[in-house]
Amino acid sequence: MELVCLGVNHKTAPVEVRERFAVGTTKLGEAAQQLLEMAGAPEGVVVSTCNRTEFYLAAENATAALERLQSGLAEKVHGHEEPFYHYQQKAAARHLCKVVSGLDSMLLGETEIFGQVKQAYQAAHEAGATGPMLNKLFQKVFSVGKKVRTQTSIQEGSTSIGNVAVELAEKIFGHLKDSEVMVLGAGEMSRLTAQALVSRGAKSIIVANRTHERAIELADEMGGRAVRFDNWLDELKNVDVVISSTGAPHTIIHREEVESLRRARKFRPLFMIDIAVPRDIEHSVGEIEEVYLYDIDALEQLAEEARARRGYQIIECEKIIEAELEKLVSPFTKPQ
Amino acid sequence: MDRWFLIAATLLAAVAGVRGLLVLRHGNRSRWTVWWMIGVMLCQMGYLAARGEMRGACPLRSIAEISVFLAWSLTLFYLLVGPVYRISLLGVFTAPVVVIFQGFTLLPGRLAANPEKVLNTTFWGETHSAMSVLAYGALALAAVAGVMFLVLDHQLKEHHLKGGLFRNLPPVRELLVSLERLLWLGMVLLTVGVIAGVLMILPEKEDLPHLIAAIAEWSGLPHLIAAVAVWLGYVVLMVTKQVRGMTGRRFALGAVALFVLSLGVFAFV
Repeated sequence: MELVCLGVNHKTAPVEVRERFAVGTTKLGEAAQQLLEMAGAPEGVVVSTCNRTEFYLAAENATAALERLQSGLAEKVHGHEEPFYHYQQKAAARHLCKVVSGLDSMLLGETEIFGQVKQAYQAAHEAGATGPMLNKLFQKVFSVGKKVRTQTSIQEGSTSIGNVAVELAEKIFGHLKDSEVMVLGAGEMSRLTAQALVSRGAKSIIVANRTHERAIELADEMGGRAVRFDNWLDELKNVDVVISSTGAPHTIIHREEVESLRRARKFRPLFMIDIAVPRDIEHSVGEIEEVYLYDIDALEQLAEEARARRGYQIIECEKIIEAELEKLVSPFTKPQ
Repeated sequence: MDRWFLIAATLLAAVAGVRGLLVLRHGNRSRWTVWWMIGVMLCQMGYLAARGEMRGACPLRSIAEISVFLAWSLTLFYLLVGPVYRISLLGVFTAPVVVIFQGFTLLPGRLAANPEKVLNTTFWGETHSAMSVLAYGALALAAVAGVMFLVLDHQLKEHHLKGGLFRNLPPVRELLVSLERLLWLGMVLLTVGVIAGVLMILPEKEDLPHLIAAIAEWSGLPHLIAAVAVWLGYVVLMVTKQVRGMTGRRFALGAVALFVLSLGVFAFV
């Protein structure tokens, strides 16, 4: 038996091609069975995420199975350049290890892919599309993925502004379930950042926007409440996190306003995130002892540093993968 | 024998601190710190048992003995409240303080090889000594938490967020909550210690002239005044925090400064 992998991903195909191969999570088992028919192989798994669709096969003749698969999928790429990449034997196993470890992801080191591959394998297994070879391969790959993530820093640090904000909020407040968040300005950036905080359990969200209807809309979406923009200062004494992203051409939060509320707030820590350009929060607000102020440049710099740190980890991850593949005694570990 | 236990405890604390810091420099937390500190605790208890046997009483009769008791108390509270923090990291901050207190005792001439037996102990006297030093253990750990807060606060304010130390420090709010709880615990124990100290010197006849005479005659008066002053300092800190509120930085600085000042009490022992 030989191992083969054929796939399209964000590096080889634009979204209009990738979407033709996309398989919903509930259809993964069915897709694996169709794969077996198409390729004439006894074992197969279909992995499908927003950035990739990959077909893993165990067949008597990898080259023949690959040809059948490519011709079966040819009509889906009509009008576009050849979007496929393919690997055989050990190279295919190595690729799957990289995918599971997040090394092949658009966002290096992301963790979601591990669960998505696990789900794909589970679906194929339940549909009876896997056998001894792919069972052994996927079990090994999951243990390699865990090892890579625990023994390196590939998943450490936040690589997006929203996640950096969440990480900092958690560093200040611990669990966010007791933290109230106020959003000033109902733009996309504030929505994404607030959403990240809500997804981590923030207690409540207050939205203030110059167009009150838009504030209501965003508050409804987040399960929070809207307040008139003129009243945001009254709410400040109760909140722990402020996300500001208005389109105002000048600063809207001034030092004296925050100073005036310090006693009422009992000098509790206040995390202020200013993602507006031009900035919404006067720089000197950050000089108040209990205020932690971060603007978009500071957040972006932190995200960039995390991305760079992850980049340095690639070689370490690849070493682990190679060492683990060496240990795997299986027909497909022969070089192609 | 007591000295060997103390040397072993000091070496273990030094290992806990140095190893913890080295691991931290590589961005991780040492899972072994807590075990090293348990070892420290066992050796300290060996010392206390041996020394207590020699004294025939709780070994709190000299500055050297008080320093070790304080280090033991600090270790005890670390092991009790450590789980609230990321345990090994609090240990990394605590171990150097233990080394300083015990290292001071191990200086030549500090710890008498053949200490005098204590012949007349009183219940209030023993309670005063034990509760006061236990209180200082809790207050010392509060000061350690205060230092951790100040480090984290500085990193967050200045946006210096790289490195294992930042990643492994507990959140600001948790540090402040723990700091406050430790201060309350220390305050309660110190209050019991101060009350026991007053009861210790009360004369049999409790009328005012006898009381004044007893206090005037008692050689430990400066120590009691210093202890009451420290106690008042903590009361002011806690009441201000409770009633008016206080920034985390001032609260932490207050806890650290008061603890450093409170060590002056021992100068009068």
